[in-house]
Amino acid sequence: MSKPSAPHSTPPRDALLLTPADDVATALRPLHAGQQASVQGLQGTLLIRQDIPFCHKVACRDIAAGDRVRKYGEVIGMASTAIRAGDHVHVHNIRSVRI
Amino acid sequence: MASDPQWMGYHRADGAVGVRNDLLVLSVAGLTGPCARRVAAALPLAKCVTMPFGGGLLGADRQLHIESLIGFGANPNVGAVLLIGSDVPKVQLIAQRLKATGKPVAAVCLDDCDHDVLTLSHRALRAGADLLHEISRNRRQSAPVSALCVGLECGRSDPSSGLVANPLIGLLTDRLVALGATAIFGESMEWLGAEHWLAARAVSPTVAQALTSAAARRASLAQAQGEDLLGNNPGPTNIAAGLSTIEEKSLGAVAKSGTASIQGVLRMAERPSKPGLYAMDGSAYSPESVSGFVAAGAQLVLFSTGVGNSYVSLLAPTLKICANPQAAAVLRNQLDFDASAVFAGHSTLHNAAEALMLLLLEVASGTLTWGEILNEGDEVVSRLGEAL
Repeated sequence: MSKPSAPHSTPPRDALLLTPADDVATALRPLHAGQQASVQGLQGTLLIRQDIPFCHKVACRDIAAGDRVRKYGEVIGMASTAIRAGDHVHVHNIRSVRI
Repeated sequence: MASDPQWMGYHRADGAVGVRNDLLVLSVAGLTGPCARRVAAALPLAKCVTMPFGGGLLGADRQLHIESLIGFGANPNVGAVLLIGSDVPKVQLIAQRLKATGKPVAAVCLDDCDHDVLTLSHRALRAGADLLHEISRNRRQSAPVSALCVGLECGRSDPSSGLVANPLIGLLTDRLVALGATAIFGESMEWLGAEHWLAARAVSPTVAQALTSAAARRASLAQAQGEDLLGNNPGPTNIAAGLSTIEEKSLGAVAKSGTASIQGVLRMAERPSKPGLYAMDGSAYSPESVSGFVAAGAQLVLFSTGVGNSYVSLLAPTLKICANPQAAAVLRNQLDFDASAVFAGHSTLHNAAEALMLLLLEVASGTLTWGEILNEGDEVVSRLGEAL
C-alpha cells in the first residue's frame, strides 16, 4: 500500500506563494534570470529577473524601499532598497523589523 | 471533505473520547520505576510511564510532576490506570483525582507491601491483569471532531518544514478548530520574532501579554546562561537555506498554529478549560514538549519533520508529516504522511490538508501510526530546578 500523501493535482509549479497577501514566493527549484516561472497561488507566469536558488524567495510584485514585505500573510521584514517583481529577496534587500 | 466528519472512539465516563483504549502502568515514584517496567513487560498490552524522580521536588517542579502524572492518567486514550508508588498519601491523592474521571484505577504501594518489591510486583501484576480484562470490553462508537484535542509539534526541521509541512498543519488546525476541536502548540522559544502575530490573535490583552512575556522569558533564560537567541538568528545555515529574518524563521515554525484566535497560554501539562487553540509555554525539545500536550489531554499529535525525527508520544498516536522528498523516500517506516508533492510543486496545501484530515480521522479510529507499530513512544516530564 502506498503511503498517505498529498495527491498530485497540478502541473508542476516552480514556486509557491503561501497566501494571496504575500509579496514573495519561494522557489521550489533553482530559477534562472529570464525564465517565465509558474507560481502556485499566482495567475499567469512571473518573469524571473535574477537567479533564485532553491528555497530562496522571489518578489511577486514591485516593493518600494521601506515597505513591509509579507510571507505567511505576515510581515517578515522591511525592504532596504527598491525591489522589482522577479528579483531575489534576501538579506541583501530586506531586514528584520524586530531587531 | 464531508461537512460533519465523524470518527470512532472510546467514550469515557467523563464525556471525553479516546482514540486508543490503553491500560497505563504509571509509576508515581522514582523508586518504583523498575517494578512498573517489570509489570508492564509481563502485560504486553499495557503501556508504561516511569520517571526517575518524585521525592523532594519543590514549587513549580512539584506542581508539574503531579499535574503530569494526573494528566497522563486522565488522558482520554487511557482506559484504566494501574498506579505503582512508594508512599500511600501521594498515591492516594493521584488515585482520587483519576477516579473522579470515572475510569477504573488500581493502586499499589511499597508502604503496604513491607517494602518488598516482589510482593508489590505480584499485586500489581494481578491488578493490571484485571484492569486489562475490564477495559477489553470497551467498544468504539461514533464521535465528533469536537471531541479531539491535538498537539502540534515540529522536530528536526529543514526548509520544507517552514514552507510546506508547518503551513499544512496550520490549515488542518484551522479546520479542526472550526469544527470545535482543541489544539495546542508549544515551543515558546520559537515564538520569538512572531510574538506580534501571535499576540494579535489573542482573545484578550491578558492572553496577548502572556504570549509576549513567555517568549521574552525564554530569551532571558538563554541570555542568563550566555546564549543569545536574537543576535545571529537566523544563523548562517538558515541564511544559506533562504531564510532572511527572525520573523520569517519564527513564522515558519508557528505556522503550525494556523490562524485561529488563541484562547490562552497554558503551563506545561495544564488542561485547556474549553475548546479552541491554545499556546503552551514549554520546552522546545520534542519529548518534553509533546509530553506536556499529552498530559494536558491531547489524544493525537501532528508532528512535522524535515530530515526525520523518530520521537513519538507513547499515549497519543503521533502522525509524522514530512515534505522533504529525500526523507519521505528513505524513512518509509517513520513518516505517516508524505507532503513532498507540495514541495515539488505537484500539489497544493489545500489538497494535502484534505488528505491529511482523512488520515487523522483514520488514525483516531484505530489505524496505527509507524511510531506505534515500532514502539518508539515515550512520555517524559521536564525538570525545572533542583530537588531537596
